[in-house]
Amino acid sequence: MIELDTLTYLFMALAGVVSLIATYLAILENDLIRAVVFSALQSTVYAILFYLLMAPDIALVYIPVAVGLYPAVVLFLIKKTERSEGDLGGAGGGSE
Amino acid sequence: MRIKRFLVLSSLIILVLTLSLAFTKGALGHYPLPLSGVRLLASWYLFTTLNPQYPVFTAMSPEAVTAIVWDYRGLDTLFETAVFFLAIIGALALMRGISLKTALNNSSNKVSDGGLSLICKTAARLLTPLIIAVSASIALHGHLTPGGGFQGGSAAAVAPLLVLVIFSVYFLLSKGVSEKPMLVLRTVGLVGIYLTALATVLIGLFTGLNAYVFQNQPKPDAPAGLPAQISGALISGSLFFFNVFEYLAVAGGFTLVFILLSIPEEVVKSFMGGETHE
Repeated sequence: MIELDTLTYLFMALAGVVSLIATYLAILENDLIRAVVFSALQSTVYAILFYLLMAPDIALVYIPVAVGLYPAVVLFLIKKTERSEGDLGGAGGGSE
Repeated sequence: MRIKRFLVLSSLIILVLTLSLAFTKGALGHYPLPLSGVRLLASWYLFTTLNPQYPVFTAMSPEAVTAIVWDYRGLDTLFETAVFFLAIIGALALMRGISLKTALNNSSNKVSDGGLSLICKTAARLLTPLIIAVSASIALHGHLTPGGGFQGGSAAAVAPLLVLVIFSVYFLLSKGVSEKPMLVLRTVGLVGIYLTALATVLIGLFTGLNAYVFQNQPKPDAPAGLPAQISGALISGSLFFFNVFEYLAVAGGFTLVFILLSIPEEVVKSFMGGETHE
């Protein structure tokens, strides 16, 4: 029989690994919209982690900010620029 | 590209290994989870937060986090709120003079057109009142249960955001949620926070009693204070008012930023006449 504490630790470790992978994908993704989705996934896992660490106040503020408001701000900004980054890839970082 | 991938991967691995080492060596105590026995500072807060026998320290709120945020460490939160509103003032200053009102008048057909599918719109119609209700309960019960003004306000800001994305910014404006009312809401919230911080001083001024700025409960040397309950309902003195006004200010501020961000580029550029952009 697994104890509740061990189960919580295991779930936290799993959540941490998922957030790490999501961070890695968000950094390396060239399509900015997909990067925002990965970033939101990482934030969702963080909200679960805050809840497991017994910080419901932080979890409550983290869910709307990290899943709703922050991706929305970034998506609005991406709409004002280009969707993918680093297409030009020149040594001088070619200017338009 | 390969170097970037290597750098990102190796820095993430180093971060994980360093943190794991710190945790196993007991940097956060021996367990990352809170222990059954609480630390000294936390136990002092938990002991005094709803304890009428210690009138010098108590905040008369069962929610220790809100009590710390708005009473024990109230001044910190006031300056955090100030930083957040300076950022919004910065956004307002950048977009000064630019308004969607004229664009709305020029094209009245834009209100009903566009947006996402009928399924999304129906779901949004159902969800928006629910989000507002939940956020209001988070804020109004902030002194009793986890939550508070900022949590409730940021949850409330999701509702206009949903409408903005699923319908359109013109639909939101036609419902009366435009820059001016949001600015008024934000200002009412800020003035409310300011007045709540000064409430005990004002009471002391009129009654001749001793009082402090940011005081919540009556103290032995400063008997002017806010009541802990009104006709049997616990409001924890200033905490309830701080939560309500912070809720209004944060919801108004976030909505204002989203309306400003959603102004189309052509409208922005039409207001920036005279300057050349390449």
